[in-house]
Amino acid sequence: MASICFDGVSKVYSDGTCAVDELDLEIREGEFMVFVGPSGCGKTTALRMVAGLEEISGGRVVIGDREVNDISPKDRDIAMVFQNYALYPHMTVAANLAFGLKLRQLSKEEINRRVQEAAAALDLEDYLERKPKALSGGQRQRVALGRAIVREPAAFLMDEPLSNLDAALRVQTRGEILKLQKRLGTTTIYVTHDQVEAMTMGDRIAVMRKGVLQQLGTPQELYTHPANIFVASFIGSPAMNLVPAATIGIDRDGLLAGFRPEHVDVGYPADGAFGFQAVVELVEYLGDERLAHVRLDERLLTAKLPADQTLESGTSMTFTVPSSAVLLFDAETGLALDEGARRAPSTSQA
Amino acid sequence: MSAIRSWPVRRNKRAGGESHQGLVQSADWKRPSVRWGLGGTHAALLVLLVIGGLGPILWLAKAAITPTQDTLSNPMALFPHGTALSNISDAWNQVDIGLYIWNTVVIAFGSWLCQIVVATTGAFALSVLKPKWGRVITALLLTTLFVPSVVLLVPLYLEVVHPPLINHSFINSYWAIWLPAGASAFNVVIMKRFFDNLPREIFEAARIDGAGPFRLFVSIVLPMSKPILGVISIFAVLASWKDFLWPLLVLSDPSKQPVSVRLPTIFGQTELGVFLAAMLIACLVPIVGFLIFQRSFLRGTGLSGALKG
Repeated sequence: MASICFDGVSKVYSDGTCAVDELDLEIREGEFMVFVGPSGCGKTTALRMVAGLEEISGGRVVIGDREVNDISPKDRDIAMVFQNYALYPHMTVAANLAFGLKLRQLSKEEINRRVQEAAAALDLEDYLERKPKALSGGQRQRVALGRAIVREPAAFLMDEPLSNLDAALRVQTRGEILKLQKRLGTTTIYVTHDQVEAMTMGDRIAVMRKGVLQQLGTPQELYTHPANIFVASFIGSPAMNLVPAATIGIDRDGLLAGFRPEHVDVGYPADGAFGFQAVVELVEYLGDERLAHVRLDERLLTAKLPADQTLESGTSMTFTVPSSAVLLFDAETGLALDEGARRAPSTSQA
Repeated sequence: MSAIRSWPVRRNKRAGGESHQGLVQSADWKRPSVRWGLGGTHAALLVLLVIGGLGPILWLAKAAITPTQDTLSNPMALFPHGTALSNISDAWNQVDIGLYIWNTVVIAFGSWLCQIVVATTGAFALSVLKPKWGRVITALLLTTLFVPSVVLLVPLYLEVVHPPLINHSFINSYWAIWLPAGASAFNVVIMKRFFDNLPREIFEAARIDGAGPFRLFVSIVLPMSKPILGVISIFAVLASWKDFLWPLLVLSDPSKQPVSVRLPTIFGQTELGVFLAAMLIACLVPIVGFLIFQRSFLRGTGLSGALKG
């Protein structure tokens, strides 16, 4: 178990592309850190720089108390789980698990003990003599996890390990990884583009975009207090509604108002709430709730409403949002305004 | 109506019943004209291929155990008038074909080993280790493929007579065949192409597991490269087995010559039946070798399960 520190880390490729731009980030001992962001945001590159699979163009990566910039991957005391399993196809499951231990010249008894323990923890005991081609996708991913566990490393690095599993297996394996990490207490960096995975798994989440860290915080912090428009719209499903502040009755220019779909209700605004009139375009019935897609001027907003709420497509209705649920962003910079800079609720309607 | 009729045929095919992969559909095969026309053509082609491919070998087998006079008087007779099994023992004892086959095996094995070592290590360096000037080296390798081998005979011969750094001629030594055989750009290029297509994540996983370049090469890359090793082995052994000109130039000592050089030499000095028996023995070795190893030569890549497909 060790902390991992990115100290002004950059990655610039030979063609000038900047994949990671001066990343400053500290991952605490035993923490489950999730890197999340859209494709090409630099999250995998950052992970690979920790693993030693990408050269670092600038800054320092520190694992524990060692700077590892010039240390080869095998000497960094980390284990990595790849998106595509990356199992050795010519070796049995047992040999896959034992490969790294043999290279570290552990005794046969110790190797057997660790392999058996990992197999038991991951329910792989019956498959130890099989080759990867004789396993299902979920079993292969468990072998890949097992290969990381047996090493008992200072940190786990996981590069979208669930993205190739079907939805049901993904949820199940997600839980297994979490339980395993909590039990072992090993520092973990987990890369994903799936914000649901990020929210459910991470102790803290680092949201990245175009190589730049957008926000670092707990899932709740990111959800309730996004630092900018990108984080606000990336975290949460359905995404946060973002409209010019004036359209919901806030008399300040150059601001965007953001509010979550679950904070929207039907009806006239009471004191301390904003209101707006919009046309219902589509209603989706989800069993326990309804998702209403409504048009306000040229923008499509989403409202998460109770299942018994009556809505009819094509009708114009008045919606209300409590002022405490409205976040304000600078339209030019996209940054969230400080709490103190938020405007008091207005009673005027759009 | 026709669509309705075609439905059961398609269902049978999907259910794993009668299925013909190719241009002709299952339904078409049921038409007598197609069945007899195409079936007959298939049979005729098969017979022609068997006659063209196996015919000379079968004739050689027959002629090897036929008295010489019988072969000379009626070479195309299907059944010989009497047998001469002594041809085989004479070929083995008098012509000493066993020694020449052994020489050929030694030459082929050494050539194969040199080619495998050079091709795998060279391709590994260029494809996996990726040295700074790797692309330039690959381009230079490719350009050597455009030089006709005949053009290289004289410089190569001079190189073997006066090898650099070593003041000892390789003439009449098997090294004169093994070392030039190893310098095959073609093998390095096709091996590199194969290595290029191996999944990089597996190499990265091995590096994180603690494998250095040597361990990566021996424990990961080579076991995953069995198919291409098989292909190169076939090329190497066949080329070495058939090679005539180069062994003739560098091996003047008859006791060291391979069968491909000795057989033409002894043609005028040996009875035809014995000579044909010697040829049969010389042919049998590679044929039996191929039949034994064909499954491993032709097996698939064996990478299934390594990655998410």
